Amino acid sequence: MPREESSKATRRSTRSSSSVTVENAEPNESHQPTVDDLTFGDESITVDAVLSNFPGRRSQILDLIRLMGPLDCPTLPVMIYGSASTGKTSVVLQVLRHLSRPFVYSSCRTCYSPRILFESILNQLLLHRKCSSNGYSSAKRCDKPSDFVNLLREALGNVIESLESGSGTSRPDKSDGKPMGKMVYLIFDNVDLIRDWDKGSMILQFLFSLYNVLKMPQLGIILISGLPPDVYYSNMGYTDPLPLYFPEYSEEDLRQIFLRNQANRKLYAAFLDVVLKPFCRVTRRLEELSTTFSSLFRKYCEPLDDLGISPNEDMKRRLYSHLKPLIAPCLNEIFRVSSHPHDGDTRGERRQKASYSSENREELETLDFHMSVSAKFLLIAAFLASRNPATLDASMFDSTGGMDNRKRKRKASEKSMEKKEMAEQEAVMKGPGSFPLERLLAIFQCIASVGDSSFGEEEEEEDEDPTGYDKENNNLMSDILLQVSSLCDANFLIKSGSCPLEGSIRYRSMVSEDLALKAARSLSFPLAKYLYRR
Amino acid sequence: MGKEIIPAAEKSLNLIRGRLCDPSYVFRPLSASSDSNYSKLKFIVSTSITEGCNNSILLLGPRGSGKAAVLDLVAGDLLEEFPDSVSLIRLNGLLHSDDNCAFKEIARQLCMEHHLLFSKMASLDENSQFIVAMLRECGLAHKTIIFVLDEFDMFAQGKQRLLYSLLDAMQSVTSQAVVIGISSRLDADQLLEKRVRSRFSHRKILFLPPSREEFDGLLEHLLSLPADSSFPNGYVSRFNEKIKNITSDTRFKDILRTLFNANSTVNSLLKFIFRAVSLMNLESGLLSLENFKAALSSMQRQPKLEAVRDCSILELYLLVCMRRLEVKEQSAYNIISVMKEYKTIHDSFQTSDYYAQNVCLRAFEHLRERQVICYTENRGQSQTGEYRPMKLLISASELHQGMRSHACCPAILLKLLDH
Repeated sequence: MPREESSKATRRSTRSSSSVTVENAEPNESHQPTVDDLTFGDESITVDAVLSNFPGRRSQILDLIRLMGPLDCPTLPVMIYGSASTGKTSVVLQVLRHLSRPFVYSSCRTCYSPRILFESILNQLLLHRKCSSNGYSSAKRCDKPSDFVNLLREALGNVIESLESGSGTSRPDKSDGKPMGKMVYLIFDNVDLIRDWDKGSMILQFLFSLYNVLKMPQLGIILISGLPPDVYYSNMGYTDPLPLYFPEYSEEDLRQIFLRNQANRKLYAAFLDVVLKPFCRVTRRLEELSTTFSSLFRKYCEPLDDLGISPNEDMKRRLYSHLKPLIAPCLNEIFRVSSHPHDGDTRGERRQKASYSSENREELETLDFHMSVSAKFLLIAAFLASRNPATLDASMFDSTGGMDNRKRKRKASEKSMEKKEMAEQEAVMKGPGSFPLERLLAIFQCIASVGDSSFGEEEEEEDEDPTGYDKENNNLMSDILLQVSSLCDANFLIKSGSCPLEGSIRYRSMVSEDLALKAARSLSFPLAKYLYRR
Repeated sequence: MGKEIIPAAEKSLNLIRGRLCDPSYVFRPLSASSDSNYSKLKFIVSTSITEGCNNSILLLGPRGSGKAAVLDLVAGDLLEEFPDSVSLIRLNGLLHSDDNCAFKEIARQLCMEHHLLFSKMASLDENSQFIVAMLRECGLAHKTIIFVLDEFDMFAQGKQRLLYSLLDAMQSVTSQAVVIGISSRLDADQLLEKRVRSRFSHRKILFLPPSREEFDGLLEHLLSLPADSSFPNGYVSRFNEKIKNITSDTRFKDILRTLFNANSTVNSLLKFIFRAVSLMNLESGLLSLENFKAALSSMQRQPKLEAVRDCSILELYLLVCMRRLEVKEQSAYNIISVMKEYKTIHDSFQTSDYYAQNVCLRAFEHLRERQVICYTENRGQSQTGEYRPMKLLISASELHQGMRSHACCPAILLKLLDH
């Protein structure tokens, strides 16, 4: 900015000020937004370019262009809906770039309250940019729909006037990104998030009837929603906008999308032949598949020295057999970020491969995270307390430690089998039971003493100082309450309502059986003996 | 795409779409007859203007039957007939149901009409005093104020202070006001409080859907191009000829009948024609029956079917498990019981699609996002996480249909659904 530099040249430059680069003069201050900024900004593109940018969306793009109509054609409100990452927002913006029409975009995800939404739209229409000179404030303060309608009408009137006066000059080059036509389009993105707002249903009603309230034919409204339009039906009734549906991509479309921007298409096509079909059975969402495929593709290319070659049948078979054992576990870990190191650590990879090649059962045995011994015992105690009814505690945890003296069961009759099934169903529906803190501590003490005897044998194998163990035994009790509260924070225990008679807080264990089994196995604790089976 | 677009085609498209988006153009032929709602309303309002008395009316009818449009026509005509003695104040229940907003908006519009300065800082009491004073002054000057209350039922929520003050002010001899309420609730007058209802003259005008003859007339009115010089002459006659052919075709009448079976308001017809006209072939510049057929199929959306068709195979498995649990008369089920059913299916049929728990949990989330399943309300015991009871939001027949039209649904799932 030559203007800024000349004003600074007159200041006396001390050593400290000249060492600091004076770049904090905002570049935006000299640039006031004009009506031309209401378009996409870049050069406009042809329909063919839009169609080739979005494989699989041909009919939707053509539909949208037809619904918006030729230049200066009035249009009814349109609602575009589809599930996540189906390309709704990007298609709308690219179509508007192709048509070079002025628009105002606001997303209900970034504008999370009505006031921010209204002010953002008004700022864009009033060509107001927030900068330090106006203290980063909006042009007008507006938090009620009634004010918004009045201000919007004024602002739209001004913009349309300037568009009309601007379009009078003839422009030889129509694709330079300047706005065309006299209509302004309002785009509301993520409209389904408004349902969770305070008074969200009123705001939704207002948005849907905005076109009727304003009665301006130069305004076009496009709503983008992640949920289908039948979600918005309310008992107030509303004039529904024209729906346009973006379905999920089919396998063919996904293949085309993944093949774009790939350096080596033949190699990637061979890779997709292997992985696309099994992964599409689980999910067809683009964002989830792309993260998995990027890491899998790196693994696929491991045996290759040169990533630029196109594979023949032999090599394809070799690569496939290299990748095959990884696919099945990866399907089950599709949403979990693996904690094992992937690249670089070959020893880790060999260990990883060994664990993958063995049965899945081995994976179940290890806990993914570290817990102290007392925490593990507490976890198991909470699990037992939730699963077993309180009346059986005495028989379960007696000095012999187990269910050795159970009565012999008679052959179950059909009625009792039915009752057993019903009881099981009810138990599953009710979820884990709640228990007071005292019961948890009692069970903990019981099983910790059981575990001591088996634990003591293991201790001799390790290199730790065995004499320190006895002291640990005595100190095990002192920070139990601390452990309880940390388990609560980790959501392994939750506080449920307190019993009005007793007045103490009751807890509930949210640990799944798998996790409890893993913890018990790491302590060599016989969990199955203590679990009450109906 | 080297095809030529006739410029006349674009112009005719613009013209027809402009007509469809303009309610006053659409409803003008419907208001032509003498016993239409237009003439009734006009009669009531013009008599109260000329005789200088107060009045209140409710316009009731389903959404999209043209209540606001007819009112705009009447208001336009009255403003032409009596230029100095009518002023119009518009309120909308969606925007102004709060009393503060409503009084402020009335005061603002009154100030704009009479070129007074409006202060945004005025309080509620100041605004209401101003309104009462204005009503008195206008009454003395023989000027009628027409209050249009759109979405009348929204004003009837809460304490109804605005309604009471408006209707009360009308009871005095000096004021001349007409209150017109528009509502899509047919029992809007039952919502009024006793004191408000006693001051309300129970005049109601019902807006019913037009008859078939009126619809035919409306179609012609909307779709035929005028024979003026802006269009090439042969084009206009060809276009109108084509429209006549289409509207007299029995298949078109079937299409219209299907449309009206679902929604017989004027608004749905407008949307249908809008969609059809947007599909107009711009190279020939003529409409065809296929446009109308495509428009009808795009209006008959079935969102739940689309949601099922979008599901992946794992999600279909989970839906089938839930349906089987329902068939076994287990009315309440949660994720744990569905996973158990999933495991039993896998054990008995040895399917290849058996995935771990966390993958299935995420599939449940996808299904919930698409509103195919949802959590049932808590009945007192607050469950968390995987123990919350769920239910299906689609019926068995929809699930069947969706799975049959799914691109790659395995045959075993259909078999499982039937047993």
